[in-house]
Amino acid sequence: MLKYILKRFLWMILTIWVIVTLTFFLMHAIPGDPLDMGDTGSSDAASANLAAYYNLDQPLGVQYVTYLKNVATFDFGPSMTSRSRDVNDMIESGFPASLQLGIASLVFSVISGVFLGVFAALRHNKMIDYITMIIAVIGISIPNFIQSMLFINYIAVNVDFFPIARWGTWQHVILPALALASGPMAIIARLTRSNMLEVLTQDYIRTAKAKGLTSFQIVVKHALRNALLPVVTIMGALTAAVLTGSFVIERIFSIPGIGQYFVNSISNRDYPMIMATTVIYSTILVVMMFIVDILYGLIDPRIKLHSKED
Amino acid sequence: MKKSKNLKWLLGTGLMATAMIATGCSGEEEASGDEEGNGEDTATEESGGEGNVLIYNSGNPTSLDPPIGNDEPSYAVLNNVMEGLTRLAKDEATPEPAMAEDWDVSDDGLTYTFYIREDANWSNGEPVTAEDFEFAFKRLANPETASPAAHHAYWIAGAEAFNEGEGSEDDVQVTAIDEKTLEVTLENPVDFFTSIVAMPQLFPVHKDTVESDDSWANNADTFVGNGPFVVSEWAADEYLLIEKNEDYWDADTVQLDGVEYVMIEDANTAYQLYGNDEIHMTGIPSDMAGELVGGPETIQYPRSGIEFQRFNVEMEPFQNRNIRAAFAKAINSQEIVDYITQENQPVMTGYVFDDFQHPNGSTYREEAGDLHEFDLEEAQELLELGMEEEGYDELPEVNLTYSTGDVNHNVAQAVQEMLQQNLGVEIGLENQEFAVFLDAQRELELQYSRSSFLGGYNDPMNYLDNFTTGNPMNRTGWSNEEYDQLVSDSLAETDPEARFDLMIEAEKVFMDDYVIVPLYYYNTTFVKKDNVEDVVRHPVGFVEFKWASME
Repeated sequence: MLKYILKRFLWMILTIWVIVTLTFFLMHAIPGDPLDMGDTGSSDAASANLAAYYNLDQPLGVQYVTYLKNVATFDFGPSMTSRSRDVNDMIESGFPASLQLGIASLVFSVISGVFLGVFAALRHNKMIDYITMIIAVIGISIPNFIQSMLFINYIAVNVDFFPIARWGTWQHVILPALALASGPMAIIARLTRSNMLEVLTQDYIRTAKAKGLTSFQIVVKHALRNALLPVVTIMGALTAAVLTGSFVIERIFSIPGIGQYFVNSISNRDYPMIMATTVIYSTILVVMMFIVDILYGLIDPRIKLHSKED
Repeated sequence: MKKSKNLKWLLGTGLMATAMIATGCSGEEEASGDEEGNGEDTATEESGGEGNVLIYNSGNPTSLDPPIGNDEPSYAVLNNVMEGLTRLAKDEATPEPAMAEDWDVSDDGLTYTFYIREDANWSNGEPVTAEDFEFAFKRLANPETASPAAHHAYWIAGAEAFNEGEGSEDDVQVTAIDEKTLEVTLENPVDFFTSIVAMPQLFPVHKDTVESDDSWANNADTFVGNGPFVVSEWAADEYLLIEKNEDYWDADTVQLDGVEYVMIEDANTAYQLYGNDEIHMTGIPSDMAGELVGGPETIQYPRSGIEFQRFNVEMEPFQNRNIRAAFAKAINSQEIVDYITQENQPVMTGYVFDDFQHPNGSTYREEAGDLHEFDLEEAQELLELGMEEEGYDELPEVNLTYSTGDVNHNVAQAVQEMLQQNLGVEIGLENQEFAVFLDAQRELELQYSRSSFLGGYNDPMNYLDNFTTGNPMNRTGWSNEEYDQLVSDSLAETDPEARFDLMIEAEKVFMDDYVIVPLYYYNTTFVKKDNVEDVVRHPVGFVEFKWASME
């Protein structure tokens, strides 16, 4: 087990290095100058001084080595759009908000998704099944920014309990978390339903029924455990996506999270911020996949945690 | 239902704490995060309760360090918590005494002596000295500061060479003669230098603070200012609270207890918050312009800046003046303003912003006269003439390129249709992501492109300078000796009226060559609550709360 973990860890480092390297060369390959002052006018000397300040006047190879060092020490230096602030500060001050929102929506989407999925499977081809799946289809097909606007324009404006936007109390979390959760919830509900349907027809479930177990016991103890495996599989990517914030939701609800940086850093060509968001996202993703692999073993003892060579 | 959400919040916070420890945030940072949260609560309560804190929606300041910020959201704050030698007056954009209570100009117009007022103090209680200004001006020009706004220091003799890495700091001609007397020698005898020193880029900084603390401008506790307000709380990306500075030399004028800048990026959300009385003043969603402009709560400020299109004179068919002029005259800017932007922007009849003050008291445009108008017949004649001159049977393919955006897209489509209807010319449209677009425009890769310019300082030279040969803002390949000469002559001219005559002449040369399609001058549109009065915003300045009041 320990050997397995160590091996996986080394692979994780290698994966992140590949991602960081690819991102570095890709971002330098796209046209556009991060220090362009655009339509306000400037002088060539001022642009050259700025380039020197950010070491952009050095050869790409040298910049690459500096970046690797920064990445290794998790110190990304000053942002190119907000020079007075270090990228680290910006991430640290924005991450808690994104994390709170992400966890709230993750918890909501998993609980309600699994619940709806199981419920639909148990009432297969009945009214409840159809209603649940209609909810799921709506959740997937209405983009969350539309939901957000509907929430603001029709719920928050009329119900004092819900703030329109901004951040600070637990009421502020509810509407954005719901908007963010509806997509993942729908995916989880559909996955759970189809797996449950499959599992429920298998022999061991019939055996359980024959033994006289209650349907609650059958579902929770026997069927769900197997049905959840595919759900767990997608949880890795889903968690990484949800925890790192959502540009659109955070913008519409004016939440001071880090979602904005994933998009703005690229349109501003803010190299240090692009690297930071890449490292954060890929680290969380890789770590989550690792956790998912460990979870497989816990949920399904048939899956052994060791590599083929062992 | 409620209970489970409560539980979720608790669970979320608990998990968050675990995750934060796991991701390596120290306990200290967690605590400061909490403080920020509490801070916001109090700020909101205060503003709701006392009612004399104006809540203004603005972008996130990128830096409160004068030479570094260099953008609208940063200077919207700085302009109210700091002050330069002069400040633009309440009613017109003319400089009046601020940190300097008086000044002398030498006969050759090159040397300015500023006398700093005795009661000018920093927010830490120390006096504002001439040395602070000397330090700040040299810092702006210093290549190591790497200020994107360094060119605003170039008026000072020696500053440009220093910034280009050729001169030395000692050659920058700004000297503190004594504690309260500052002497500045200029490169050219420009009489608008007293407007230049009103700009945030040339605000003083407290020398000892800047020298001892690199991050002094990053938070409310360490920031040292000298303006009508002081920074009291700042949570990045959320809000920034400034409060009245009782020690400001002109504190009696200041009516508000404070201003809370909130950072709501989405215009639609901001408008909803405004409707719910959570914000007192904010910009408007662009798709609501038609509905809101002219309404009782809407206020519009002229903004020095222009929307126009550039021709690349090195690409066919725009090497020909008459073809360029035909395009420009076939585009009806009034229709673009009336049906697309819908913000009542004034249509351009020249190149330079209309409202600059002429030394004789009238405006620049009144003296310069109208140099351009939509003229269908003339456009058709010019096109025919131009095609004949170039021997074209058919016009070479023309593409209009713009940076991605709804308004840009709609304007480009309207232009495409006008050229089709008025000249029978079919043009193609192409959009590019903003940074890619800027790069291509700068490298002269675009044939015909959407353009804009945001003015910085209070003089027509701000515009005319852009199209001198090799200027980074030129981006057309256009070069005209007569024009360059007129611009440099006007910089050397000491007589104010004669200087304006030369600039007017230069603009005529430029407009006559039709390097651009003039569209419209900018303005900025806000909605504000009825009780908000006297929020000042000059065409070249940034928002001013010094005179603002809220009943």
